[in-house]
This record gives sequence, structure tokens and C-alpha cells, in this order.
Amino acid sequence: MTIAPSPTPARSLRRRILRRGPDPSDRDRAVLVLHDVTKQYPNGKVALRDVDLVIPEGDFVFLVGPSGAGKSTLIKLLIRDEVATRGDVVLDGQDLARLPRRQVPKMRRKIGIIFQDFKLLPTKTVWENVAFALEVTGHPRGQIRAAVDRVLAIVGLTAQAQQTPSQLSGGEQQRTAIARALVHDPRLIIADEPTGNLDPLISWEILQLLLRINELGVTVLMATHNADVVTALRKRVVALEEGRIIRDEVGGAYHRED
Amino acid sequence: MITFVVFSIRRAWQGFWRNAVMSLAATATMVLMLMLLAGFWIIQTGLLAGLEFTEQKVEVVAYLQPNVTESQVTALRGEVEAMPQVDAVVYVTRDDALVRFQESMQAQGREDLTQYLDSNPLYASLEVKLVDPAGIRVVGDALREDPAVRNVINIEDLVDRVLTVTNILRTAGTVLLIVVGVICLFIIVNTIRLAVFARAEEIEIMRLVGASDAFIRWPFVFEGAFVGFLGAVITLAVLAAAAEPLSGFMVEFFRVLPLQVGSLTRDLVALVMGAGVGLGVLGSWVSVRTYLIR
Repeated sequence: MTIAPSPTPARSLRRRILRRGPDPSDRDRAVLVLHDVTKQYPNGKVALRDVDLVIPEGDFVFLVGPSGAGKSTLIKLLIRDEVATRGDVVLDGQDLARLPRRQVPKMRRKIGIIFQDFKLLPTKTVWENVAFALEVTGHPRGQIRAAVDRVLAIVGLTAQAQQTPSQLSGGEQQRTAIARALVHDPRLIIADEPTGNLDPLISWEILQLLLRINELGVTVLMATHNADVVTALRKRVVALEEGRIIRDEVGGAYHRED
Repeated sequence: MITFVVFSIRRAWQGFWRNAVMSLAATATMVLMLMLLAGFWIIQTGLLAGLEFTEQKVEVVAYLQPNVTESQVTALRGEVEAMPQVDAVVYVTRDDALVRFQESMQAQGREDLTQYLDSNPLYASLEVKLVDPAGIRVVGDALREDPAVRNVINIEDLVDRVLTVTNILRTAGTVLLIVVGVICLFIIVNTIRLAVFARAEEIEIMRLVGASDAFIRWPFVFEGAFVGFLGAVITLAVLAAAAEPLSGFMVEFFRVLPLQVGSLTRDLVALVMGAGVGLGVLGSWVSVRTYLIR
């Protein structure tokens, strides 16, 4: 199965050139900057060591690596579920370690997160699941209606709006989750194994959707084990192993090609 | 602010009905616990009233010398009434004593033996009601020292024993009520914790999409308050329905007690409502907190 990589907008292409190394001038343009980040858990396990990573706005990055390499820890640091033991995690110009607890929810609204297990509420319809993200962040109802309709159109679920997750296929459920992640107009979409539970055909469908969202200007960071997808798309690939970044290349494959 | 309150209440209402099984289980537990609490509270109130009634019966009777003069009696009476332990003093003359004796004999259907007597053999007495039965020794001793007093019936030891028993009962009742209260607290809080736990994923999603703590917490708190309110209303309805047959059964018992049904009902409604809503709110607050502190 082959799928042609979508044409890359000139804007992202320009940014891509700046990708390597934490050049201070990058910080302004970067959605995400990690500088010398180390994370040690209370039990002594070191999950990340001296990680440097800059993700410019509009980038599409694959985060790959074996289980236990530190991908989940990295994502937890980005949503400030955990705080780095050392180093800076700067999201959209804000240092997460210095962010007061009360500001964390506001920061999270700049991020849309997608999980392998979708995390949809089974008692709510597709429409309500997406609207939920806006309701619980205090948006007025009038605003919610328009925003939800818009993102459901983007992911192509307008017709399924009134169905509950149990009536949907896996791909449709993940598209609902993507719509929910998108409804806040996030700066960054973090997808944690979004295709882990889906068959190859549907996986490609989800990937195309993420690529399209990326084209709309949203930065995407996708952690995955799906080697076919990573190798075929030739996007930027960041590989983690034992808590270190061992490879960071544009147009990379899932495995090292020497 | 108003948007927030409306949002919280709407979400609480939705939350209650969308998780109907859990919510109704929590409400049922709430009802059972509140009934237990209300039952024990009624028993405790009855017990206290009974004890008070018993203690009110305690009085010091001082028999006076046969040759005592009216002015001596008045002086003694004034002296005794001035004591802080004394509530009231009733002077029973010899004639009064005779009448009482005759009446009590008649009431028991026995023959009036006094008709065979030439003169009244009874003594005049002062019946001293006490503010608190614990004061019996002081009052008794004071009366014994007065020359106008012939003798004072020694019931101090008996009263001491009665007081020991009533104090034990009072303490035991209070301790039992507190224990039942604590049991209710834990069971209700834990039931609500389970109901919240069943929705841990919902809370997690709220956190991930950037809901502030208040937006996560308050709908659950309102829902807890609603469970408590509903539980209290059901409990009170059941108690009201049961009150009629129960009071018919207990009327003889309660009539003699210094109880006011009006204030009893008011206190009971306040207790059940307060405990229901209070525990509901507390349970939700504590349960949601677990998910927020991270």
C-alpha cells in the first residue's frame, strides 16, 4: 500500500531548515523547546536524559523508539502531568516548571491530545464528546455549537454527530477524539500511538487526517510504533532510546538507514 | 459566575441521571444511613428526656417538728428557697398530709384507717424540688441542721446510685450516637467515592482538555449535594409515614416525657437535611480532590 505524501506548504518547509539544535532565535518561533531535560522518577528510574528538542511551528514530528524508551514520559512532561527533574520544557514561550498550578489548565488548552484508547465518554454522543472539551473550559453555548460543527466537518463526522461511541468503528472513534483535540484551536497536537488499536487501512486514514490538520497550520507530534507509516511519509523523525535522543532527522525512516 | 453555576448544576443533573445506577445506589445508601442516624437520634432524645424526667422526681422531704410555729416555717422556707440548688418548696401542713393520705388510700381502694384515730398522726413537711439532683446532699444537710426539722428521709445514697446510672446511660447514648454518626460518615463518603471513581476517566479527560479545578470539582459537589438532598427527602418521607403508627404505639411512653413534638420534628428535619447534604458535599469534595492533587 502506498500513499503519496501530501505536498508540504512552503511555510513549514522554511521552518524545517531551522530544526536542529536549540538555537536561541528558534525559541520565538518554536511551539516547543526542550533544553537539557532530565526526568528521574521518585523510584530512582531515569526516564529521560539530557534531552534537547526544538519543534518549530507547523512541524510534523514522529517520535519513535522501543517501549520504555521515554516516549510516554516526554508526553507527560509536555502536558505537565510530570515536571522535569532538570532542564527547561518551554511550551509556546512558557516554562512549564515555573508555571503555577492554577495556570496549568490554561496551558493545556493550547495542546490537543489523542490517545491509543480514544478516551471518549461512552454515555455521550459524538457531538457531546467534542462539545465537552469546550463546556468544561467555560465557553458559552453559542460559541460551542459553531466550533463543534466546524471540527466535525474537518474530521468528516457530521453525519455521525448524534451517535454514541459504541455505534462507531474504531477509526470513527479516533476521528471523534481528534475532533475533540482540535476544538480548542490548539498550537500543538500530541498523538500518543493514535493508530495502535486500528487496522492498517484505518491507520492511514487517521494519518491523512493528521497530515491535513498539520497543513492547516497545527504542529503535530506523533508517538508511534507504526514503522510503515513513518518510513513512507519521510517526515521528521525523533528516535528515543533509553531516555536519550539517538536520532533526529528530517525525511527519516522508522529505523536508522546508514 | 452565573454561567459557571448554571453549568455546574446542569452538569450535576446530567451526571446524576447518566450514571443512574451509581447515583441511585449512593442515594439508597444515603437513605439507609440517614434512617439509622435519625433512629438513633430519636432514641437518644427519648432517653435524655426519660432521664431528665426521672431526675425531676428527686426531691428532699423534710418532716417538721410537731410543735413548730408558723413563723418558724416561713423563715425556714425562705432560707431554703434562697439556696441555689433549690427549684421550689412546697409546704405540706398536717391537714394537707392527712388529706393526701386519705386520697391515696381511696385511690388504692383500701379502707380509710384514719377514721379510727382520734387525732392526726402525720407531720407537716417541706417538699423541696431541686434544680439538679446532684445538690441533694447540700440541701439535705442544711435542712437537718435546722431545729424546726424533725427528720429528713435519707435518700442521698439512692439518688447517688440513680445519678450514676443516668450519667452512664447519658454518656453511652452520646457515644453510641457519635459512633453511628461516624459510621454514616464513612459509609456515605465511601459510596460517593465509588460513584466518583466510576467516572475517573471523565475527570481525566476534563483535566487533559484543560478544565480548571473549579470546573471539575463543582459539578461533582453539586451532584453530591443533590444525592444528599434526595436521600434526606426520602428519609423524612419514610419517617413521616412511619410516625403515625409509631407514635400510636409509643404515645403512652412519650406523653409522660417532657418532649415537645414541634421542636423534635424541627430538629429532626434539620439533622437529616444537614447530615444528608453535608455528607454529600463532603464526600464529593474529598473524592474529587484525590484526582485534582497531581
